[in-house]
Parts: sequence; structure tokens; C-alpha cells
Amino acid sequence: MRRGALWRLFYRASLGDHAYKFLFEPGPPGEAVALDCETTGLDPRRDEILAVAAVRIRGNRILTSERFQAIVRPEAGQPGAESIKVHQLRRRDLVDARPMRQLLPALLRFIGGRPLVGYYIDFDIRMLDRAAMDLIEVKLPNPRIEVSALYYDRKYGDAPPGTVFDLRFASLLRDLGIPPLPAHDALNDAVMAAMAYLALRDLQARGVRIPRERQSRQALPPIVG
Amino acid sequence: MPNGFDASNPPFDRLTQPEIGELRAALDIAYLAPGEAVLRPGQAAEHLHVVIKGAVEARDGETLNAVLGPKDSFDSRALVHGAAGEAFVAAEETLCYLIPRALVLDLIARNPGFAAFFYSEVSAKLDAFARSHRAEGMESVLRARVGEASRGPALLLPGDASIQAAARQMQEAHINAAFVRDGARTGVVTGMNLAKAVLLRGLPPETPVREACHFDVIAVEAGDFIFDALLLMTRHDKRRIAVRSGGAFTGFLEDIHILGLVAGNSQLIPGRIDRARGVEELAGPAQDIQRQVERLHRQGVKVEQIAEITSDLNRRLFVRLFELLAPPAIRAQGCLVIMGSEGRGEQTVRTDQDNGLLLEGPVPEAELAGFRTTFSAALAAFGFPPCPGGVMVSNPLWSQPVEGLVRQLRLWIMERTPEAAMNLAIFFDAVAVTGRAGLLAEAKQAMATALRDDRALIARFASLVEAFETPALGMLSGLMERVGLAPDAIDIKKAGIFPVVQGIRAMALDRGVMVPSTAGRIEALAAAGSLSEAFGRELLSALRVFMEYRLRAQLEAVQRGRLEHEAMVAPGALSAADRDILRDAFRIVREFRELLRNRYALAGFG
Repeated sequence: MRRGALWRLFYRASLGDHAYKFLFEPGPPGEAVALDCETTGLDPRRDEILAVAAVRIRGNRILTSERFQAIVRPEAGQPGAESIKVHQLRRRDLVDARPMRQLLPALLRFIGGRPLVGYYIDFDIRMLDRAAMDLIEVKLPNPRIEVSALYYDRKYGDAPPGTVFDLRFASLLRDLGIPPLPAHDALNDAVMAAMAYLALRDLQARGVRIPRERQSRQALPPIVG
Repeated sequence: MPNGFDASNPPFDRLTQPEIGELRAALDIAYLAPGEAVLRPGQAAEHLHVVIKGAVEARDGETLNAVLGPKDSFDSRALVHGAAGEAFVAAEETLCYLIPRALVLDLIARNPGFAAFFYSEVSAKLDAFARSHRAEGMESVLRARVGEASRGPALLLPGDASIQAAARQMQEAHINAAFVRDGARTGVVTGMNLAKAVLLRGLPPETPVREACHFDVIAVEAGDFIFDALLLMTRHDKRRIAVRSGGAFTGFLEDIHILGLVAGNSQLIPGRIDRARGVEELAGPAQDIQRQVERLHRQGVKVEQIAEITSDLNRRLFVRLFELLAPPAIRAQGCLVIMGSEGRGEQTVRTDQDNGLLLEGPVPEAELAGFRTTFSAALAAFGFPPCPGGVMVSNPLWSQPVEGLVRQLRLWIMERTPEAAMNLAIFFDAVAVTGRAGLLAEAKQAMATALRDDRALIARFASLVEAFETPALGMLSGLMERVGLAPDAIDIKKAGIFPVVQGIRAMALDRGVMVPSTAGRIEALAAAGSLSEAFGRELLSALRVFMEYRLRAQLEAVQRGRLEHEAMVAPGALSAADRDILRDAFRIVREFRELLRNRYALAGFG
């Protein structure tokens, strides 16, 4: 968000289609949108979005009844067999799919100016940015709320040097007691991120920390901070 | 939520696939911070909450009524009837699904199975939910074993016995078919065969029975399924086939016996009891009474009906046993009484024998001593466990001349200890089974007279309901798990059945209501204006719920051979719908305690 202010101004000025000015207006107070993309891979320059889902959060509620959910038809032909297996999308599922260009206007209107919530949300936004650049010549200007950062703060914010961090989504869900929904489903991932966000926000408001279990250094990938 | 919401969790398992789709599409999720109040008493709810994770407390002022955990839902009363009965407060970080009220009401209107969960009367709710997992009726009959169906005793006649002798023996044994041994062959003769031999073939009565019988015996093994027997009967066009066990013929299976399995074989038991010519012959029917409890329950008969059938049969059993064992003096002078749950007609699986003998006047001491031992021992052998409180014929306190007992009752009235109050309570439920019923009426009248206007004693009596706390469902589980103990269990007898039975008993004593059954007492108390009719119905409803869950626990305990767990129900092992039903029933018990506390000023009793 730090780098945001200037870019925001820039994109606001360079917005190709002024019908999308609402992206730059602040969203309704107390609202946010949890977002998740399922993609063919982890390279935002080359990989494609397969599915996208977003749910609105209002106050302490996750409005799953008003969700945005779509299967995307990749521009560069059919997705590889590998991603079909991981995301349990078959070619048959892709029949109803539409290209991102066609889906994006509805998605942007669904999001509006609300902050975007997600686990490694930067990645999802970068994936969407490519389509947004094509469509309206801007990147998504929405404020971002990174769930893993909130989690880091609650769990490791006061950790002594040398502490091993574990920011995996599964660990985060376990610490917060959120029952895991079937993974690799964009809507489920967005809902789980939203649940985690509400829980972490409440812990933050109450000044409650997540206890760190005794370290088992060998077991975890050492990301020393 | 396309796939996160668990639709197999009752009551949602009652929904059709499209209805589940509708529900999932309409769900929202709420996050509740610890201490956040979701509903206040009297408040209407906009959503049905289904807990995803965390814990929500149901509170009544300072009292914690229940702790709701994952899959539990609340609050149907706030949703459907427009006012929450309790406050609902998040105890920890909690996530809940929110199902919009309009959708729930719509589903209720469309789907009667789902609607049952929202019935206001808790036993109706239980019935609706119990019915589904027992829709097996006929199925379970076909899967029963041949040996389970009742069969007449096997009578084996020598082939050279005369047909007249055969007819006489069959008549005495109350059977209509017998086996005939003729050298190495075994045949079967029926009453109809004998009649035809004499009337149609004109054979003289001295003709050997082998002439009248047939040797092409169709037989089934006792361990075979009823299903197999039915096939044989159909194939050979027979209404009766022979039953074999361990290579020997042990009896017959008739179509009527199979019919008996459908509704329990209760209609066959009285005949067998009446026919018993010795104590040992009563053991069979005594076991059958117990076995049919399980069968009736499996077939979905309501617990109050099972109790009624069972106590009716038990009474016949007691009468016959009394006739067989009591010497003439005791039979002439005595009155056999049953007490406690047996007297109220509310016992299903046998828990103990509460019985006694009142005598008009003295009887020979040796005879009485003999009867005391043999009667109680016979019942114990039939599977009626001895009463831990010694309320049995074998205890001279409970088998004595009526003046003696009346004196004893007066002593108990003056004694004012909980034990004495408990003895009076058990006696208040007494019913005369056979003999001079007037003696019991006399003793009960004496007790009622001695108690009249004794507010202190009636209050003492009512105060026994405070002996066991009504549990807050779910509260212990967390605690026990945290300290590493086994998950909690609720003693449904102490926490549910006893307070209702004892409270109603105290009120009946207070108002001089002499009916022994709790249902009858509630009805009489409502008629007398001591209870509102609506609350009376709720109480009875709650009692039936407790009896049902207790019966389930008992049958399971019997199956596992762990009788000490007979009244223990572990909320964690129940479905969310079952927990909800029990929670409602315990709420009614709490209301009842409150009523008793106010009426009898129980605050003074510790």
C-alpha cells in the first residue's frame, strides 16, 4: 500500500475507460472483498487464470450468498493436464467458461473500491492486472489486506530473532481453528481467507496473540527474520 | 457455499438435493467475537445459526444451560416462534453459517421431515426424528432368526402311543402339533390329523399315532433367517414347519409366530405365562418379555407403549409366580404389590425389582420366610436385578402385615431423612398386582392421611429433585477433554427422569392424587389446576424423550454387557438433532424445578 499512492494517482489519470472510475472511490465503509484465483501455474507473466471467486465481507459477516464465481477459459488454448488434475477442472467444465476479458467487467463491478483480502493476494492481483491492463489500461488500485501478514503479526510479531516462521495456509487455518474446506476451489479458498481475516482482525482488536508452539526447527523450512 | 456446508448433519439431511442447493446458495457466514451476544431472550431471529467452529453458550441469566459446538444450530424457537427462550453468547471465537429466516420458513412449509425439527413439542420432534432411522419394520423381521420367534414346546410322542393318548397330551401341553418317534423315523402329527383320523377315516381311538402322522417333515434350522423359513413355507404350502437345533427337533415355527415378530410377540407371551406349571417354565416367557423390548424398539414402537406392554406382561408374570410359589395362607391373606417405576408402569429394560407383600393378618412364620426367599430369588433368576435399596419381598420390612407397614410409614414420615422420603416415594407408586387389593388402598390412605397438610414433609419430598443438577449440555466435554479424561456423559436417569417423576410425585402427594403413573398424575394435576395443561404436556413430552434416550442407552449397555452405563448418554456421540432435542427437554426440567422451588420454597433445603 505504500507504493500505492503514486501509482493510484497515475492509473487514475491514465484510466482508459472512465466508466470504471468507481475503482478509485473508497468502497462502502466496513466492507471488503476476499478474492482467490486458481491458475495454471505460479508465473504471473505466463500462466493463466482458470477460475476466480470473490465474496464480500460486511462487518463481521461473510456474504457468501452474494458471491462472484466464474470459470475462466484460458486465452492460450487448453490448460495442461497437470493443472486440470490439481484444480479438478475438466475440459467439460470449461465449456461454460468465458474468457477473462468478458468476465472482468462484472468482477470489477463486484469488487468496486473495496479492499481486497487474500492469502498472498499480491499474486492474485497480478494475475488480474494483466486482464485489467488490456481492458481499461490500469492495474487494480484497491487497497490490499494480506492475511499471511496479519497472521505473522499476531503470531511472530514479537518473536525473538532466530524464530522459525511457518506461514503456510494450513498452519494458519489450524491455529485459528478454521475447518479446512476442500482446497483448490477458488470460492472455498476465498471463503477461508475471509474467515481467517475476520478472526485475525478480531484478535488484533483485542490485542490477543497466537501462541507459538515449541520450535521444531528441523521440520520447517527455515525462513529466518 | 457450494460444498463447505455439511448437508448430512440432521436436520439438513432431510432436505432434497435441490433444496440443499438452494440453502447453500443463500448461506452467509458470521464471525462472533468472544462475549458477543447473538440473541437475547425474547428476541426474534433473522437467521438460523449453525456453528462451524467455536462455542456458543445458551444462558438464562446467570445459569449456563448449554454450550453449543460445531454442527449445533440455534435457535429454532427464536426463528419460528419469534422469541428466543435463552440468551446466546459466543464463548470463544466462533464462526457460524447463517441461514435466512425466510428460507427456513419456506423449507419448513415444503418439507415435513425438515419441519419436524422445528416442532415446539419436544416429543413430537423426537418421534419425527426417531421414525426415520427405524423405517426397517418388516425388514428387521425377515432378518430375525427362526430361534427368536416363539415356538411351542417340543412334544415327542412314541409311535405306538394311541391317538387318544396323543390328543390328551397335546391338549395338556396346549399345543397343536407334536413330533412322533417311530424307530429311526420322526414324523409330525397335528390336531387336524388326529381329528381326521377319527372322524373321517373312522379309526378307533386306540390306533397307534404313527398311523395318523406323516413323515415328510419340512424343517428349518433355529439359526436360519425367518426369511428362509418363509420361503420353505411358501414352497411347500405349509403354515407350520419343524424347527431343528443341534440335530434334534426343538419345536415348530408357525405363520402366526412370524406375525408375532412384526409387533413383538407380546400376544403370545400371556398364554405361555398362564400355561407355566412351574417356576422354571416361567423363565422362557420372562426372557421373552425382555427380548421383545429390543425388538419393539427396533420396529419403532414409542417408548411409552413399550413400557405399557412390558409392564402389563411383567404383572402377569408376577401374578403367575405368586400363584406358583405362595403357600395357601399367604395367598389367602396377602396382597402382592409392585412399586417404583414398575408400579408407575414406566419400566422397560429391567433395572431392579421393587415389590412387596402386604398381609391381612399373621401367617405361619416358616412359610413366610420360605416365600420371601424363593420369590425374590426366582425374579432375580428371571433377570430382575435385586433392588439396591432392599425394596423387595425378601426384606421383612416390605413383607409384613398391613398394620406393621402403616406403622413403618408413619415412622418414615417422622424421620425426615432423604432415605425415609425415598421409601415413602417408592411406596406412593405402589400398585396391587394380585390378592387383597384393599390392603394396599388401606395403607396408602393411611399414608395420605398422615401426610395431609404436612407442608414441610411435602417440601422435603419435592426437594429431592434438587439432588442432581440439570446438566448444561456440552459444558463438561471441553473441560474433561482438556484434563485428558474420557468425554463426558450425562446420567439421563438422575438428570432427566428423576426430577420429573419425583416432582410430579410430590405434587400428586400434595393434592392427594392417587393415580400411580406419571402421565396420569400430570393429567390429574392439570385438571386440578396445579399445573397448566400446556406445561403438563411439555413435562410429559420431556419425560418421554428421556425414557427414549435412556432405553437406547440401556439396550446398548445390554449389548455391550456394561450395565453400569445403562443411563449414560454421551452428548458427543449424539447427532446435532438429538442434542437439540435433549437440550429442549432439559430446559423443561429446569422450568419445572423453578416451579417447584417457588411453590414449596425449596431454598431452605441444602
